[in-house]
Amino acid sequence: MTTTRRNLFKFAGGGAAGALLTPAPWRLITDTALWSENWPGIPRPARGEIRARFTHCTLCPAGCAVRARCVNGQPVSLAGVKPHPISNGALCPWGIAGHHLPYHPERLRKGPVQEATAAVARAISQRGAGECVAVLDLRPGRTASLTYRRAMASIENGIYLAPRQPAYAVDLAAARTVVSFGAPLFDGWGTPGNVFAARDHFRLIQVEPVETRTGALSDVWLPIRPGTEAAIASALAGDMTIAEAARATGVEEEAIGAVKEAADRGSTVVVASDPGSPLMSLNAKLGALKHTVVARRESPVPDAWKKAAPVTEIAAAADGAIRVLLIDESLPGGYVPWREIEPKLAANAVVAVFTSTSQGYARRAQYVLPAPVYPEVAEDVGPAIDTVAAVFRVAAPLVAPLVPVVNPAGFVAQIAGLPPGDPLRERADAIHQTGRGTLLSYADGKSTPVKEVAADDFWKTLNQGGCWMDDAGKKSAPSGFGWPVTWPTRHDDLPLAVVAAEFNRGGLASPLMSKLERESNLRMAANHVVLSPADAHASGIENGSPCLLETACGRMNAAATIDPGVPAGVVEVAGGPRMAELCGANPRARVVRA
Amino acid sequence: MIGGKIAFASGMLVALACGWLAFPRILYQTRPQPVDFSHKVHADKAGAKCEDCHSFRDDGTYAGIPTLDKCSGCHAAAMGTTAAEKSFIDQYVTPNREPQWLSYARQPENVYFSHVSHVKLGRLTCEQCHGGEGSTGGLRPYQLDPISGYSRDIWGRPVNRTGLRTEGGMKMDDCVNCHRRQGLEYSCLGCHK
Amino acid sequence: MTNQTQRAARSGMSIDIDKCTGCGACMVACAVENNIPPAPETANDRKGITWIRVYKVDNHLAYPERRTAFVPVLCQQCGHDTPCAHVCPQQAVDVDPATGIVGQMPERCLGCRYCMVACPYHARYFNWWDPKWPAGMERTLNPDVAPRMRGVVEKCNFCHGRWHAAQQKAAAAGKREIDAADYVPACVEACPTGALRFGDLNDSTTEVAQEAQRPESFRLLEKLGTEPKIHYRSRRDWVREIASAPRPEGKDWLRG
Repeated sequence: MTTTRRNLFKFAGGGAAGALLTPAPWRLITDTALWSENWPGIPRPARGEIRARFTHCTLCPAGCAVRARCVNGQPVSLAGVKPHPISNGALCPWGIAGHHLPYHPERLRKGPVQEATAAVARAISQRGAGECVAVLDLRPGRTASLTYRRAMASIENGIYLAPRQPAYAVDLAAARTVVSFGAPLFDGWGTPGNVFAARDHFRLIQVEPVETRTGALSDVWLPIRPGTEAAIASALAGDMTIAEAARATGVEEEAIGAVKEAADRGSTVVVASDPGSPLMSLNAKLGALKHTVVARRESPVPDAWKKAAPVTEIAAAADGAIRVLLIDESLPGGYVPWREIEPKLAANAVVAVFTSTSQGYARRAQYVLPAPVYPEVAEDVGPAIDTVAAVFRVAAPLVAPLVPVVNPAGFVAQIAGLPPGDPLRERADAIHQTGRGTLLSYADGKSTPVKEVAADDFWKTLNQGGCWMDDAGKKSAPSGFGWPVTWPTRHDDLPLAVVAAEFNRGGLASPLMSKLERESNLRMAANHVVLSPADAHASGIENGSPCLLETACGRMNAAATIDPGVPAGVVEVAGGPRMAELCGANPRARVVRA
Repeated sequence: MIGGKIAFASGMLVALACGWLAFPRILYQTRPQPVDFSHKVHADKAGAKCEDCHSFRDDGTYAGIPTLDKCSGCHAAAMGTTAAEKSFIDQYVTPNREPQWLSYARQPENVYFSHVSHVKLGRLTCEQCHGGEGSTGGLRPYQLDPISGYSRDIWGRPVNRTGLRTEGGMKMDDCVNCHRRQGLEYSCLGCHK
Repeated sequence: MTNQTQRAARSGMSIDIDKCTGCGACMVACAVENNIPPAPETANDRKGITWIRVYKVDNHLAYPERRTAFVPVLCQQCGHDTPCAHVCPQQAVDVDPATGIVGQMPERCLGCRYCMVACPYHARYFNWWDPKWPAGMERTLNPDVAPRMRGVVEKCNFCHGRWHAAQQKAAAAGKREIDAADYVPACVEACPTGALRFGDLNDSTTEVAQEAQRPESFRLLEKLGTEPKIHYRSRRDWVREIASAPRPEGKDWLRG
């Protein structure tokens, strides 16, 4: 046989035919398919023992009870605790993915802790006469808040600042009619589980310029002109005739009349989007005090803490008096406009903020220190606006802090020289000593009177999933309502009223929120505005086009959508700290093409 | 002309030889287990049964290959005199490091297999799927198929899967065949996740 | 694993549109349970993966007659001539005779997306990209669900990982039938208002079966004859009209 090219090809052909008769090519195909299934970069979930652990969500003051499904101790999903007397097993979208926060890509991972400590200590000791040290606590009502107040009480000229907190609680279970002036009852107000549990027992009248989620599911929506809430309130109080109110608000007389009739029937409560709004004083006129609106109750504190500094409003502080300002922005929610803070700072003020995000006060402070995020550290949750009984709920940590963090309360306590200790344990012991109330444990759903529980077991149950609830007691009237609020002034060059259709609490949120904002149109992104066709046409804006939202305080790049459901003269936005900073006290704007 | 036929035939023979004889040999890479563990020693001397270490948890999930804490429970200090045990304690128990065992039965991520259903409801014994692993004197070497990433035990020893006993392979075909023999209904999502 | 002697169930849901606030907790809970990654930078609502998606619908009137509602849409688990199962060239879709659940097998899928065309409810989603989580977040993945690679289609399968867990728990107690209380899909468990209910439509004692029989219950696109197992309820007439309304003119349909 000669070695010709032809023979070579025949050899190859024979080889190919033979190969097909062997397992080799078939096995290689199968193996390659399997190899393609193990694509590099596709993570494999870790396996291990699956256990439930309990805590409370600290992403908002509702503090809903959380059951975490943990694999080898690592939470992989969160759910509510059914049945829970306060949260009723409900969690909101942010709470459901809260366990992602420690891994958030934009989380602050380091900060100048040594320099900040030194600078703060130096500034405190070199203060001039009358210069203050201030702590701005953006989530007041916690045990950490009391630590700040104690710390400030023990420093000369130490003041404790906090956003205004309502001194009342709303008892929805006792209400038969709820008149809501734009309060997002079904979209972030109070405790979701509590609101929906009471839903079937009250008639909701939503008074707001655009139909929000709450308006869509309300029993009656009063589509008032923006800024005319006071007219409805006056009509309900009897200070204005219904006809006048109808003229002012643009709502029909029969509709307002029907609302007044319902409100006069008793068991009515008035709520407002701003809990401190003077509209809340309408509750006194409608007989709601001590019934559906009661005094806010705090759980007991140790006697040694009673000498805590009072809560000061930022406006009450003297201009230029604050030499050291420490801002606790570790929990999302509260907000005080920088505009109000800046004048109070001394010329050489040292400002440090404890935060987990570079948005917010990090843009203003000199020292930005990384704070722990939920669920990394033990914290407690104060009562929400709809929590009637005094409660004590410990948010136990589920994971160790992922990055080197500074515990804000610990930092401040150390600066002030407070004795070291575990404030949460001290408070739990004080509560236990009163012998009042019941301890609810989540793992078995059992409720035990505190008198029958030993102090150590009390603390252990609180940390492993439980809450303390005070005995019902008599309802008392809240101390007072509202305080003067500046009404929006009209600007002719700001023709649109800014109305928040949703609220963005600010702070970190799980990257999975993209499902709601980018991968669907369910929720408004922070830079999304909605205009009526008339206003859009007047400004030359098309659907989806980029635009500028300009207010008296600044401007924001936004994307505009056109919706005939929005009334003329209104621009719908996503509310929250950023919008509050932008609008200031005057929520009016104009929208122009970008 | 005949030269052409010989060329073809010899090509075919070479391919057949490579495919049937050489290919199975070169396909696999041998990897050693991290610890020279003897099932027989533990069964005889410690009186351990399969489920003492390979146990079910309360919710029915299977612990699989035990984690270090199971071994440390007894082997915090040396219990025997073998070099293998000493090296195990030095390398794993003392520094609290998990041994990276190579599981012969490891399935793809999308496979859901419930041990408790097969053991408690199906009344299968360990040997029916895993063979005589539990009575061996030492762990047999792990033969890795580097392309697919799985053990030789999944495909089975014979390269064309002939004459395979029930414990000889763990491909989907083997599961389906047994289910069919038992007359059980099944759906894709019953075994996949 | 089911035994032939068991009575066949039909797993379905009843969704009360009059209770849905459009919060989106179901969408996030679904993504957490099923290892769905957050969207890459270039994703939008056409390319995102939302096995359950809440649509905002309205009565198409201008202010102040505008009324809004929220409709969660997920795989409707079609019971008759299931369109996606019918067209798949790979037999990657399997209708379980014991539960009626339409199972999607991403491992068999070759990504032709014929099923996405066939599905009248837009309930199927394609993996345009490989899944990517921020560093460290892969520790929060659910071991009961396998992550999918790019190039395959996926959809809701009624949280079958939870069915597996319920089945294991029953098997550990020596039982072949699962306890219905142990098998609740993530969206149903997450809904704060209780608008979503899940159960066996064949069992007349379940809430779902009873609600499905109510006069105000309807199904989406019933006239197509797909026999979906998701029943919707609303007392608002305009919502019911929307559900069977023909496709209107204009590009702004389904803003949400």
